[in-house]
Formats: sequence, C-alpha cells, structure tokens
Amino acid sequence: MSYEDEIGRKIERSEPLPKRLEINVLKYFWQSNPLIGKKSDSVPRFLRKIEVLKNFSENELRILSHFMHFRSFNAGETVFKQGDLGVGFYLIYSGYTDIVVASTSPSGDEKKSDHLLTLEKYDYFGELALLQENSVRNASAISRQGCELLGLFKPDMDELINHYPLIAAKLLQSISLIVANRLFSLTVEVQELKYKIVSLEKENDAGE
Amino acid sequence: MLESKPIPKREKFKLGFFFGLFTFVFALLVSMPRVGVPVLLGYVIYLIISPAVPTLEKIGINRTGSIWIVFSSLIFFSTYPFIKIVPTVTAEAENIQYYLPKVERYVTEKYSEFREEVKEKTSFEISDKYFLQAVEWVRGASTKVLLNAPKLVASFIEWVFLIPLIVFFLLKDGRAFKVGILRLTPNSIFERFYNLSHQFNKKLGDYIFAKFVEASIVGIVITSGLLILNVRFALLFGLISAFTNIIPYLGPALGFVPAILFALAEYGGGTTLGAIITLFLVANAIDIAIVFPILVSKIVDLHPLTVVVSVILGSQWLGIIGMIISIPMAAAVKLIIQEVYKEVYQGG
Repeated sequence: MSYEDEIGRKIERSEPLPKRLEINVLKYFWQSNPLIGKKSDSVPRFLRKIEVLKNFSENELRILSHFMHFRSFNAGETVFKQGDLGVGFYLIYSGYTDIVVASTSPSGDEKKSDHLLTLEKYDYFGELALLQENSVRNASAISRQGCELLGLFKPDMDELINHYPLIAAKLLQSISLIVANRLFSLTVEVQELKYKIVSLEKENDAGE
Repeated sequence: MLESKPIPKREKFKLGFFFGLFTFVFALLVSMPRVGVPVLLGYVIYLIISPAVPTLEKIGINRTGSIWIVFSSLIFFSTYPFIKIVPTVTAEAENIQYYLPKVERYVTEKYSEFREEVKEKTSFEISDKYFLQAVEWVRGASTKVLLNAPKLVASFIEWVFLIPLIVFFLLKDGRAFKVGILRLTPNSIFERFYNLSHQFNKKLGDYIFAKFVEASIVGIVITSGLLILNVRFALLFGLISAFTNIIPYLGPALGFVPAILFALAEYGGGTTLGAIITLFLVANAIDIAIVFPILVSKIVDLHPLTVVVSVILGSQWLGIIGMIISIPMAAAVKLIIQEVYKEVYQGG
C-alpha cells in the first residue's frame, strides 16, 4: 500500500495521522546534495523571473549568466557613487539597495542627500552605463543590510557582442525596453509639470 | 549618507591583499625569467590568435572545437616554416661567419681611406681609438652571441613545449582566470579596475597584432626583393629587418645596416647596392605610408615625442626588450592617467 493511500484511508476512518513531514529537513538534505542547487544553476532561474528578460530562451539565459558577476555588499557599503564613471548594470539577487541622490542648494553651500527609493529582489539599476560612452552615475546606490548583486559590465557586453551576437541583441533590446519605459514615464511627468506651471502662471496673472 | 565614509577595515584588507598578490606574481615572473619569459611570450601569442576563436564560434563551431582548430593551425603554421626555414637560416647564419672578416676588412679599409682623405684635406688626424673600440665591441658582442647560442637553444627547446601549453590553457581557461581575478577584486575598485584592465588588454592585443602584421609585411617585402635581386642571405636579412621593425623609429635603420654593410663588402658600391638601398627605402615607405597609419597609429594614439622618449627610457632600463615593450607600456600609462584625470577633474 502506498503512503498516499495509507494517509487517505486514515483520514476516512478519522484515525490519528502520522507526525507531520519535516519539509524543512527534507529541503535541507535536498539542497545540500552536491550535484544540485549550485549557484551557477540558480542564476539562470533567477534571470527567468526578470520581466524584461522574458524573450530569452533557457539556454540563452544560461549563457548570459556566464557573463555576469556575482558581487556581495555589506550593510551600508556603496555599490557606486553619484558622479562616478560607471560601466555596470546590476540586478538585485537578494537584499535591498537604496538609491540616493545628492543635490546642492541654489546658494551652493548646502548639500543634502535625498533617499529616492529602495529596490528589492528582481529589481535592476544602472542600465544607462551599458549604453553611454562615458556614463556618469546620476545617483548613488548603497546596500541596505547587505545585498547580493548580479552585475553585467561594459567589457562583458563587448565580449557578448563578439561571441553571442544574438544574445547581445536580445539583451540590448531588453535594456532599450527599460530605457524606453523610463523615458515614457518621464515624458508624462514633464507634461504634467508643464500643465501645472501653465495653470500656476494663469492663477498668478489672474491674481495680479 | 553620501559623504565618503572611511574605508572599513575589511575592505582595506581586501585592497591590500589584492594589490599585494599582483605585486607578488609580477615580482615572481620578473625574478624568474625561465618561467616569466615563456609566460609573457605565451600571453603575447594568445593575444594575437585569440580573436580567431569567436570568429569560428560565429559559424557554428562550439568553443572547444574552435580552440582546437585555432590551436592546431597555430602549431601547424608555426612548425611548418620552422622545419622549412630553420635549416636554411642556420646554414646562412653559419655561412655568414666566413663573410664577417670580409666585412670587417672592408670597413677597416674604408675607414683608413677616409682618415687619409681627411688628413690630406684638413691636416687633421682622426684618432684610431674610437674606431678600434667600436670594432672591438662588435667583435665581442658577436662572440658573446655565438657563445651563448647553446644556452639559447636549450631554453628554446624548453619553450617549444612550454609556450604551446600556456597558449592552449589561456585559450581554454582564459575566461575562468579572468572571473577568478575579478572575484578577488574589492568592491570599491571593481568597476574601474575591470574597465581599465579590459581596455588595456584590448589595446595591447591590438597593438601586438598590428606589429606582428607590420613586421611580417616588411619581412616579406624585403626577403622577396632581395631574392629577386639575387643577393646572398636574402632570408636572413629579411628576418632581421622583420624583427628589428618591431622597435619603433630605430628598428628599420637597425635592420638596414647589416644588409648594406654586407652588400658594400660583397658587391662594392655598384648597382646592386643602389638596388638594395632602394628596396629598403621602398619597404620602409610602404610601412610608413600605408601599413603604419592604417594599422598601428590608430591603436596607440601617442604623440611622436612621447614615443621617442618612452623608447629611450625603455632602452635605458631593459635594453632591446625595453624598446619593444615601451610603446604598449606608454599606452597603458596614458590610459591610467586619463582615467585618473576623469576621476579627479571631471567626476566626483
């Protein structure tokens, strides 16, 4: 008699069930198997969950993962600083990253930094560095509580173009998608701001 | 939050370890030329042939297959000429020692004639001292080369086995080495280090490839020209001019001297000499007007003055090898200075 049948019969007869299976222990033994669950396997699986990489096949994701670099950061460690020259595009594998923008007051003597947003697992940042020639970071990225990032850098992009032009084209398409989406939302925002300015000017004129 | 925080102790340790490791490996290679030289040569060959691998991969051959094809063709194309050319060159090199006294006699003769003439016309006697010193130096240097020949042959045989091994594993595991080094790179310098080392490697590879092509073109033109002119030791002089061509500015002239001296001694100042001089001028004109601007100058955009100064500095420190590596080194220094400039003056 199979285990399932036995459980089914016990439920029917409302007999006491055997002790609950320790899923966590099973999972531990399963994951500690040296043949499975390596990081190199989990990276493509991680990439599969990134929305903009959805047009990649499994094999393409596997190849792409060979060109990416695993970097881990301690709590409060800077990933990159605003104003630095950047060559890397990062995906958050685990943990959180704060994006912070420093601005100088009009008088020029007061510097303040604004916390812009916090990114979490499956988010990405720094994509412009792959596209621009001498890309200057326009915000800082700081690890919160420690994080693990997957980075793709300009030299990797060059190598990808040379070795796997198809994958490089798909990746550039994905990055263009990110940039296009951002541009679109920026345009909408600019339009809204313009409208606000015009209406404020009108109010001002009417007030005078 | 943005103010630069003091570098944490762990990061400091990582930085120290990383640069310490680099210095250690570099010092090890420099202090042990028996390992260092083949590693350097293997790396140079790797830089020359590695662009062929992605080209083969693009036509659908897998990575291992491409590496095997590139590697076996390297072995074939480097051994075949060796088997064919080495005996000829060795024979020529052996023969030339019988001609050396002739050249020496000729030079001495010409020198005393010149001295007489100067004395006659200006009643000024040129001292023999410098001339004798020069002859002595040349004689000493050539004896030294001949005496060191067995040692060179021994290390050459060692290299024949070692260099292909190094090239093969660089082709096969180059990326794994790179990933390993990058894994050790501390976070605070990662992006800069990766970008800089990539650019430097690319520049060095392009430069070495361009120089290799340039030297081959000059060597082929001169060898075939000398063969057409039916000059003895055509192959040897062609090889010499190809090798010396690697040295910027001074190289072409250095390659020119032995052939001219030999021609003067053997054929006198007749039409053959004129033809040889024209040949060398044409070869250098092709080099300067066509090959150099198309191939080399675009890769290392250094000011001519910088090139001259770095070649002199290189020769001061490391002799001929210094002259050869001076240009890529200067290009690397320029790259680093540019990066620091961007970092300090434009960024931040």
